[in-house]
Amino acid sequence: MNNNYVKYSLLFLLLVILQGFVINHISINTYINPMIYPVLILLLPYEINFFVMMLICLLLGFSVDALSNTFGLHAAATIVVGYTRPIVLRYIKPRDGYDNNMLPTLHDMGLLWSMLYCSILLAIHHLWFFIMEVFRLDLFGLILGKVFFSLIFTLVLVILFQYIFFKSSRK
Amino acid sequence: MRRLIQFLTKFRDFLIFLALQFLVLSIFFNTRNYHKAAMVNTSSAMVGWFMEKKHNITKHFDLEDQNAVLLAEVAELLNNQPESFYQLQGETYRVDDKIVKRQYTYLPALVVQSTDNKRDNYLTLNKGSAQGIEEGMGVINDYGAAGVVMSVSEHYSLVKTVLSDNIRLGVKSSKNNEYWFLIWDGEDKTIASIENVKRDIDVEVGDSIVTRGGMGQFPEGVLVGTVDEIISEDGNPLLNLNIKLAVNFSNIYHVYIIKNAFREEQLELENQILDLAGENE
Repeated sequence: MNNNYVKYSLLFLLLVILQGFVINHISINTYINPMIYPVLILLLPYEINFFVMMLICLLLGFSVDALSNTFGLHAAATIVVGYTRPIVLRYIKPRDGYDNNMLPTLHDMGLLWSMLYCSILLAIHHLWFFIMEVFRLDLFGLILGKVFFSLIFTLVLVILFQYIFFKSSRK
Repeated sequence: MRRLIQFLTKFRDFLIFLALQFLVLSIFFNTRNYHKAAMVNTSSAMVGWFMEKKHNITKHFDLEDQNAVLLAEVAELLNNQPESFYQLQGETYRVDDKIVKRQYTYLPALVVQSTDNKRDNYLTLNKGSAQGIEEGMGVINDYGAAGVVMSVSEHYSLVKTVLSDNIRLGVKSSKNNEYWFLIWDGEDKTIASIENVKRDIDVEVGDSIVTRGGMGQFPEGVLVGTVDEIISEDGNPLLNLNIKLAVNFSNIYHVYIIKNAFREEQLELENQILDLAGENE
């Protein structure tokens, strides 16, 4: 358990720094705005307490906001992801439930399940983020474009991140 | 009472979610609508320090381009020196009855962090309140107006650029002094727009649009951009203009912060009138 705290704290720092100093500077055009940090919320253990998760979401969002001058926009999106994660997990539950010794990673749950899980939650995250950022109904096409193209890049980053920093929980 | 508690425990998670969402979004929209940052941002001491460290590594990447820009500016200033003119005719008559007082001071600064692909884009500069920077000062680079200082810490300042939703920069046509507000719709980082231009105004593609100098942020006549396209819709008595911005926000490094010595005086006077109007209502 103690080991877990250290691991997730280090991941938190790594992701905030990666997002703030590297990925925020990928500015190909207005449509592509990839984000790596939501992967921390996606990869939290299944049985995590709701309060703890919301607290992590809030902290993570505010840290990324501080580095990218968005004043609460990232925090709003991470809170939505934190709230919807248990609901999404319930909907896409495998036939024999979740094993609490495993994590919702690509290695433990398989590529197909992981892609589904990540793309649903990241789509919710991006949709909320860009709706609040643009905040104009007449530019809904722009919002959808931003969500779609950023989502592709984010998914690639999230999968790469799991391959690099996680390994299978099975011994 | 028991029903209420039952209800609260049933929807506990959702209520927490709503409360947090409300808190975060109210901070976000407040910061967006007023020109004041109520949250930690890249001008804060600690984050600014990190940005400076990152900048120390990345600043060398485009030094060549930046040097070319500075050289061009020096050449232009040299061209305007009295020594570079050959006198064709002696001074026949001259009255020197001008008294001047300095109104604008320009402080050089470096951009340590910038974005250009968000809905609201900001620059972080390496000068802060220690150098006399205050909220509301205008920022320009060699090409034109870039933005307005929004938040200041001791050694850093945060600039809201022209590429923002609520910047509402006062601009005018350099040809006939008709004035409007500049807005940016978030799509193209080289194009801003002006809405509701009357049809009887003489506007042509290529006209330069300059700052109006009304808010005391910029001197009058700093270039903002040129008219790129005139959009006229059938049945609409008003025109929209697309403005090609003079500043390239994806390559911005050396900037000047404009300090207006009379700004406080101007705002004080204007506020007096606003207060009077408020009392009469």
